[in-house]
Amino acid sequence: MSDNKIYFKFDGKRYGGNEGDTIASALLRNNIKFVGRSFKYHRPRGIYTCGIEEPNALVQIINEHNEPNVRATVKKIYEGMVVKSQNRWPSLKRDFGSINNLLSPIFSAGFYYKTFMGPKGFWKKVYEPLIRRTAGLGKPPKEFRSKSIHIHHNVDVLIVGGGLSGLLAAKKLAGTDHDVLLIDRDDCLGGILKNTKKIKSIDNQRTNTWVEKTEWLIKNSKNIKILKNTTVTTYNFDNHLVAFEDKSVGKPPDNIKPELVLHKIRTKHTILANGHIERFISFRNNDLPGVMLAASFEKYIHKYGVVPDQNPIIFTNNSSTFSLLKSLVDLGHKPRAYVDVRDQKKIEKETLELLTKYNIPLYAKSEIEGCDGKNGVQKVSIRIKKNEIIKIKTSMLCVSGGFNPDIHLFTQSKGLIKWDDSLLTFKPDKSYQNTITLGSVSGNFSYEKLIGEINKKLSFLQGVNHLESTLDINGPKKFQIKELWETKHEKKSFWSKSFIDLQNDVTTKDLKQAILEGFNRIEHLKRFTTNSMGTDQGKISSINALGIVSKILKKNVSEVGTTIYRPPYTPVSFSAIAGRSTYEFYDPERKTPLHTWHVNNNAVFEDVGQWKRPWYFKKHTNETMHEAVQRESKQLRETAGILDGSTLGKIEIKGRDALTFINLMYTNSFTKLKPMSARYALMLGEDGMVKDDGIVCKINDQHFIATTTTGGAANVLAHMEEYAQTEWPDMNVYMNSITEQFATFNISGPKSRVIMSRVFNDIDFSNDKFPFMTFQNFNYLDTQIRILRASFTGELGYEIYIPPKYALRLWQRIFFYSRDLDLVPYGTETMHLLRAEKGYIIVGQDTDGTVTPLDLNLNWMIGKKKKDFIGKRSLTRSDIVRENRKQLVGLIPLDKTYGIEEGQHVIEKENLSTPIKKPVEMLGHVTSSYFSPTLKHSVAMALIRGGKRKIGSQLYVSTSDLNTIPVEVVETSFIDPKNERMLL
Amino acid sequence: MFIINCPYCGERDQSEFSNGGEAHVARPKDPEQINDREWSEYVFVRANPKGIYYERWVHTHGCKKWFNAVRNTSTDKILKVYKLGEAPPSIKEFKNTLKSPSGEPEVGSGNFTVKKT
Repeated sequence: MSDNKIYFKFDGKRYGGNEGDTIASALLRNNIKFVGRSFKYHRPRGIYTCGIEEPNALVQIINEHNEPNVRATVKKIYEGMVVKSQNRWPSLKRDFGSINNLLSPIFSAGFYYKTFMGPKGFWKKVYEPLIRRTAGLGKPPKEFRSKSIHIHHNVDVLIVGGGLSGLLAAKKLAGTDHDVLLIDRDDCLGGILKNTKKIKSIDNQRTNTWVEKTEWLIKNSKNIKILKNTTVTTYNFDNHLVAFEDKSVGKPPDNIKPELVLHKIRTKHTILANGHIERFISFRNNDLPGVMLAASFEKYIHKYGVVPDQNPIIFTNNSSTFSLLKSLVDLGHKPRAYVDVRDQKKIEKETLELLTKYNIPLYAKSEIEGCDGKNGVQKVSIRIKKNEIIKIKTSMLCVSGGFNPDIHLFTQSKGLIKWDDSLLTFKPDKSYQNTITLGSVSGNFSYEKLIGEINKKLSFLQGVNHLESTLDINGPKKFQIKELWETKHEKKSFWSKSFIDLQNDVTTKDLKQAILEGFNRIEHLKRFTTNSMGTDQGKISSINALGIVSKILKKNVSEVGTTIYRPPYTPVSFSAIAGRSTYEFYDPERKTPLHTWHVNNNAVFEDVGQWKRPWYFKKHTNETMHEAVQRESKQLRETAGILDGSTLGKIEIKGRDALTFINLMYTNSFTKLKPMSARYALMLGEDGMVKDDGIVCKINDQHFIATTTTGGAANVLAHMEEYAQTEWPDMNVYMNSITEQFATFNISGPKSRVIMSRVFNDIDFSNDKFPFMTFQNFNYLDTQIRILRASFTGELGYEIYIPPKYALRLWQRIFFYSRDLDLVPYGTETMHLLRAEKGYIIVGQDTDGTVTPLDLNLNWMIGKKKKDFIGKRSLTRSDIVRENRKQLVGLIPLDKTYGIEEGQHVIEKENLSTPIKKPVEMLGHVTSSYFSPTLKHSVAMALIRGGKRKIGSQLYVSTSDLNTIPVEVVETSFIDPKNERMLL
Repeated sequence: MFIINCPYCGERDQSEFSNGGEAHVARPKDPEQINDREWSEYVFVRANPKGIYYERWVHTHGCKKWFNAVRNTSTDKILKVYKLGEAPPSIKEFKNTLKSPSGEPEVGSGNFTVKKT
């Protein structure tokens, strides 16, 4: 470690830390132990652990977009970092919310469920804002742009954890043909070799030397890739794991480089060597700053060179604390006391020898009753006999309640776990996927057996090396533990609490109360008390809760069972999940070949699927949408208009059986249709409901081109493919999307024939030579175009299909030739208005998947002589022929000055009572409504029950201000019902 | 996300595929000759077993081909894939693959993580 100090700010004060320090280790270096306030009671909280399992020390990084809930025990400091404590106001030491602690008797388990029941409206207006202000952790981050990326891996073996077991496994695989990925969540490999003194030497080398050499060997083996600062969060099916890598460890956020990388890993075999997590013991005020897990305390000494306290008290129920004791005395520090729950005879001789040699008081068969102090531990009470308590002054208390194999990932993989009576914890039993657990995660707490375990479990992999290593172990060789989840309380006051979940402020009393109230199933208990539901998922405490519950229920822990650990293992930033798929990259944008022209001509765009379509064109900056649409519509019916229809789906269908196939796909009959003619066609689902519509052009019996709605193009092609492949595989028919191969213009209006004749002066557009619903191919420039005479506006109209390369030239030429004819470019809104005036439907607006052709008055489109087509049989089902189905009708307001709103209900009653007490019978709803500039009143279409029979009658349409307007039910064709303009 | 072995392309991520529901439900040859009940059963009714399920998949973001698969719905393991037109494998073939990860019963819900002793 270098001596160059790094300076950062915590709650406005400047502190110095060493390179490599986490926020927590730097704060401990500056003797700061009180770092935050708790979630519910606002109690002072300190640093409890030294890693990812931290429940307390959550902070907010102000200079990183206000990133909240950052674990101080993980996040590395850098120069200029600004850190703030959370959940306190106005300051950490004087916190207003800590009054909650005094009110705590009413904040017990289920408090929210029971209390905030009434009066009506109070939850939204009073309770929720109040709770949101006082509860919760950090404040949400400010808006920022994610620079995260995703990387995919396909490997043979994934090793999770680069500690002792992981390194040994990697060594075993080094230089073999297996493609291996080794992931460690720390910035260095080594795990316990770096964090504790449990192992003296490996192969007669100092542990640090061994780690360096092994890492060098792995790196040079070429078949193993190492990812550091990477945490595996998710274990999915088929050995698919997700990990995220922090790219900005110990660095300020970079403006260009990604800060997080999400790794998606697919592997053949997963080796879990992710170790264990120490757990605590519940006692009175076990949450005070100054209480820390023993192994974490030791990690601060070895990994960061910080001794959080020179004379702590050690409290344990197992053999592992020898290592902490040894670390302290080796540095010349003397713990004030060593409290072991076990009988002196059961305590390992190595520990006893050390205690005697350094004259450290041992309290065997004793337990910590509790501790006291303001904003931190000052005094610790030790119960040395049943009724005898002594008090010792100290500022830190190190606790070890045993170890849990870190089985989160193993259970996510659906592996089975079982209870181990000697380790007093759950350990993996049976893998469900290709998962191998090594070392302490597999429940093997004995270093002596480790080499044998790895050799045995990995022997099935081809060509692996045989491992031979000698581990020189410090202290007790066998792990011994005595069951203790909670010590007995002495004091009773509001302040005294024994916590089981530090992050969610759940006390052992809450567990007992929940069971008394009948929540004796562990999954219910978890949700009622919120135990282990914090972002740490109770890593240091959930097993303790099971222990306490099993004692109350007088059951074995294995009978109580455990709650399911769910991904992610640690919280993952949304920015990592989103990756680059944000803003304009969220979904691809499709633009027509004329997009630039539209932009230059002040088009306002509308998203249709992924397409950007002109919605309307602004003539001048102050023109409103309504004005623009009225102007465009009016002008089209007077002269002519042009629409960019390139987004329409186009599907080419070819093959010997193309005619048969098209006849089956669409309701219409195409058998008698002459070549080079077209037909407006309906596509149904097998349930008889309208799926899509479009114009189908018949080139000949073996060749068709079908157009689809813009949004339905992909579905229609998939629908055709499905039937061609699955139902009629013997048919000779092929289909392909040609949407992007042709730009499409729709020119319509009374002047359109003149315009077309001027642009294509060698083509005869007369009614005889070019009748309605026919099409012709022409050579144009050095390409071919197809012109179809069709109309969606009710006016004389032509559609031009041209390869995109020539689109802009032709488009401009059309405007050039019609410069004296007032040709107006129009957008989708005008198109919708014009078609509504004609009563033409839009699939998806006037239909919703429950509408049949009969409901739409489109009986004429059904080829009744056809033996079969998709959906035909359904059209005669009893429910489909029912008379009072919802049917499409037209609506006109009786008072022509009123406008009808889209989506409003159609009802029979004139007056709505306010407030509405009884449900009002609804006949249907308005699907389309526009103000017609030609008719000078509102025209609407609605789906209403028994609509056909109601034509001519008067109904009412509701309005958004709870009034009704009277309307007349009419046929859907409002303009030119005889189609005279279209057939001009 | 699991892996599906497309019979035309090989192993690909599930996200490339779409599920098409139960397999071997043939469209009636002459729909006009069957009654409403028989027709609606073809259109609307599909089996939903816990255990072995014969279903259709399509490699949407790949070769666009439809094929059949046998999947154990309680474990999401795809036990076999085969092309359209090939005879469905006998259910006996999958007898030993029924067990779900926690050994829960074949029918009914269960979400155990701890082995029952």
